Amino acid sequence: MGYLFMAYTIIWALLAGYIFVLGKRQKDLKKELKVLEDWKSEQ
Amino acid sequence: MKQPSAFVDRMLYILLVPAMFVSLYLIFIWSPIEKQMGASQKIFYFHVSTAWVAFLAFFVVGYYCVLMLKRPTEDRFIKAGISAEIGVVFTTITLLTGMIWGKSAWNTWWTWEPRLVTVLILLFIYIAYLFVRKMEGTWEKIAKLSAVFGIIGCINVPIVFMAIRWWNTKLHPVVFGEGKNQSGGGVEPDMLVTLLFCIGTITLLYLFMMRKGIEIEKMRLTVRKAKSRVIEKLAS
Amino acid sequence: MKIILADALTIAAKDLRNELKSKQTSGMMIIFSSLVILIFSFAFDPTNNTVKAIIPGLIWVITIFSGLLGLNRSFISEQENDSLTGLKVAPIDPSSIFLGKVVANLVLVTIVQMLSIPILFLLFDYKFHGDLIWFLLIVLTATIGFIVIGTFLAALAANAKNSEMLLPVLLLPLLSPLMIGAVQATKIVLEQEGITDAISWLQLMAAYDLLFFAACFFLFEYLMEGS
Repeated sequence: MGYLFMAYTIIWALLAGYIFVLGKRQKDLKKELKVLEDWKSEQ
Repeated sequence: MKQPSAFVDRMLYILLVPAMFVSLYLIFIWSPIEKQMGASQKIFYFHVSTAWVAFLAFFVVGYYCVLMLKRPTEDRFIKAGISAEIGVVFTTITLLTGMIWGKSAWNTWWTWEPRLVTVLILLFIYIAYLFVRKMEGTWEKIAKLSAVFGIIGCINVPIVFMAIRWWNTKLHPVVFGEGKNQSGGGVEPDMLVTLLFCIGTITLLYLFMMRKGIEIEKMRLTVRKAKSRVIEKLAS
Repeated sequence: MKIILADALTIAAKDLRNELKSKQTSGMMIIFSSLVILIFSFAFDPTNNTVKAIIPGLIWVITIFSGLLGLNRSFISEQENDSLTGLKVAPIDPSSIFLGKVVANLVLVTIVQMLSIPILFLLFDYKFHGDLIWFLLIVLTATIGFIVIGTFLAALAANAKNSEMLLPVLLLPLLSPLMIGAVQATKIVLEQEGITDAISWLQLMAAYDLLFFAACFFLFEYLMEGS
């Protein structure tokens, strides 16, 4: 039973990890977009 | 162009969430507990599904690599890369769950079983492929180089499987029979239904992640291009 | 086809002449493989009789580690003075560059093996009883496979800044089936077991060699375009 718990914990942790990486990429994109918009408004 | 793609995304999401809950219900409540291995046998469903997706992702990488040799486009390059990334995640899941299951069923973390070792080497090839993509240089150059490596890696995987299988049967007796799941003498129909449903769910998850990843990567590309345009404008 | 071969031999001859003059790479490789043997003799006590069992594995560990050194150099050295661009724009088929490099590396690694394997047997006090012809055939087949795929990936890795680190990461997973075959076949020959088993491993290695040679031969053109 303990093994079952361990296995599914690992599965969800890794999937969540990858989704987190994707989310981080999106956040970085947002930051860059903001920088771009700032530049545009400065002009 | 944007409308249908958003629709597909939403449909995938709508399908994926209930499918995930249903498959969890099927695994933990509906399907019978295996007599010999007990509850740990339930690892099997996600283990097999992730293994299937790991190989699927690998063949998607190979497919786009061949296409890229014909004509490299940014679209193909991105798709191969995201598929490889997801492949790494699923291969790692397969390996770890396989090890845990091995521990519970045969009381050993690792056996030099052909499929296990093939998956391990698959993981190494995936990682090497991602390293090739991380090289500096223009994307056209990296696209060509990574495509070439992807094809060589694809050729290698079946040979690895054959070689290790041969190595095992010549030196050691085959302990666990032909298949991992055959210690109970085949798969019961209830278990088979659950297994097939899980495979479907994980494949959906793969498609969903793939689309999300591609979208983000494409946005990144657009932002980068816009940025370089703005910098050029400011400089001039 | 004849032209490709002639061009390949020219390139191989150029590399080998260069090596003959400087003796840098081959010297390093021989010293390195001797050092690896030395380290192994500390790791596994050579006076112990059970050590005989790991001799086939050691032969291949030495070959791969010292071979990696040579492979790393084979394309990096062309980058000085941009000689690689010269090769690329030369009116020759790109496959002949590959073929030439394979021949040059093969000669280099074979020379190193001819020294390092006897040193290994000597230092580990191993008496060779096996069939010499079969032993040489197995060593040669596996080395060809190693050099074919190694040269190809060295050309790929040479595009990166950290190519010395990238090459082993790319090469070792792809070599795994060949190494399984090589170690098993060498073990069978050295321990004088049935030769039929060794022949089936030899067939596997030969198939691997042919398959990857064909694949690398055709894909090398794309590699040269890309870099």
